Amino acid sequence: MAGEKAEKPDTKEKKPEAKKADAGGKAKKGNLKAKTPKKGKPHCSRNPVLKEKVLATVTKPVGGDKNGGTQVVKLHKMPRYYPTEDVPQKLLSHGKKKKKKKKKKKNPLSQHVRKLRASITPGTILIILTGHHRGTRVVFLKQLSNGLLLKFVIATSTKIDISSVKIPKHLIDAYFKKKKLQQHKVDQKAVDSQILPKIKAAPQLQGYLHSVFSLTNEFTLTN
Amino acid sequence: MSERLWSKAIFVGYEWDLWSQREHMALLKIEGVFAPDGTEFCLGKRCAYVYKVKDNKVTPGGKPNKTRVIWGKITCAHGTIVMVHVKFQRNLPAKVIGLRIRVMMYPSGI
Repeated sequence: MAGEKAEKPDTKEKKPEAKKADAGGKAKKGNLKAKTPKKGKPHCSRNPVLKEKVLATVTKPVGGDKNGGTQVVKLHKMPRYYPTEDVPQKLLSHGKKKKKKKKKKKNPLSQHVRKLRASITPGTILIILTGHHRGTRVVFLKQLSNGLLLKFVIATSTKIDISSVKIPKHLIDAYFKKKKLQQHKVDQKAVDSQILPKIKAAPQLQGYLHSVFSLTNEFTLTN
Repeated sequence: MSERLWSKAIFVGYEWDLWSQREHMALLKIEGVFAPDGTEFCLGKRCAYVYKVKDNKVTPGGKPNKTRVIWGKITCAHGTIVMVHVKFQRNLPAKVIGLRIRVMMYPSGI
């Protein structure tokens, strides 16, 4: 018969409706949540004012002479599978897409919260440690969403106040990947024009930013 | 003005157990580190053995040149002597014992 599974039923339900409920709970979304409240019985809410009862069962007629007239069928069956732990957070790689919209909490890499160490705040002077610009001192403007580079930087204790500097909002990661030279120049000017006056205002800061950081015999790694 | 952004270190030898050496881990003595809290600062930092050979090789971000690198990472401190264990991606050649290794300042936690 179409509705029946060939495998031995492990439930005692005899009706075809019961067997549709499944192999591993894939058909029903709600049953996969580990924290689904068990709706087998009418929900006794603690609040006596709440009179609404969740309709948990349905009475259905049953064929056959000797089967009794009706049976009571649960509307929400107990899940056949409970995960052993709370639903784990999945690290979905950006390539994978799940077609079934399960209500698990997805936490793909793009949505990870990037923490920034406390010593780096907007306006801090940083020293870049690697790459073409190694040794240069720069002003930290803002943290981009993918958190790159900040391991390769030392935060100095010098800070300038850039709270009034408005950084163009389109400066995000994707912006830096493209080579739109004209647009970059315009934005560079816009940012520079706001920051340069602040640098010049602080004593000796311009010269400091101009200087290159390096280790020497006197100034070693652990000093 | 030199642009050195790395600390000087010497490759002292390989890791030893009681009777034999284990070449997969190296021991490094970092210049300027005289106390155990100095090694604590260095943990996790990248190290490089830089050397030159006859043939040119492609360099990321630069023209092909004769410089080559074996990269490694400081894994842990070595006992109470102020040295560190370093795991290199390829084991260091034994003829480098006593020679210069660079300890970078990144990944930085300051």
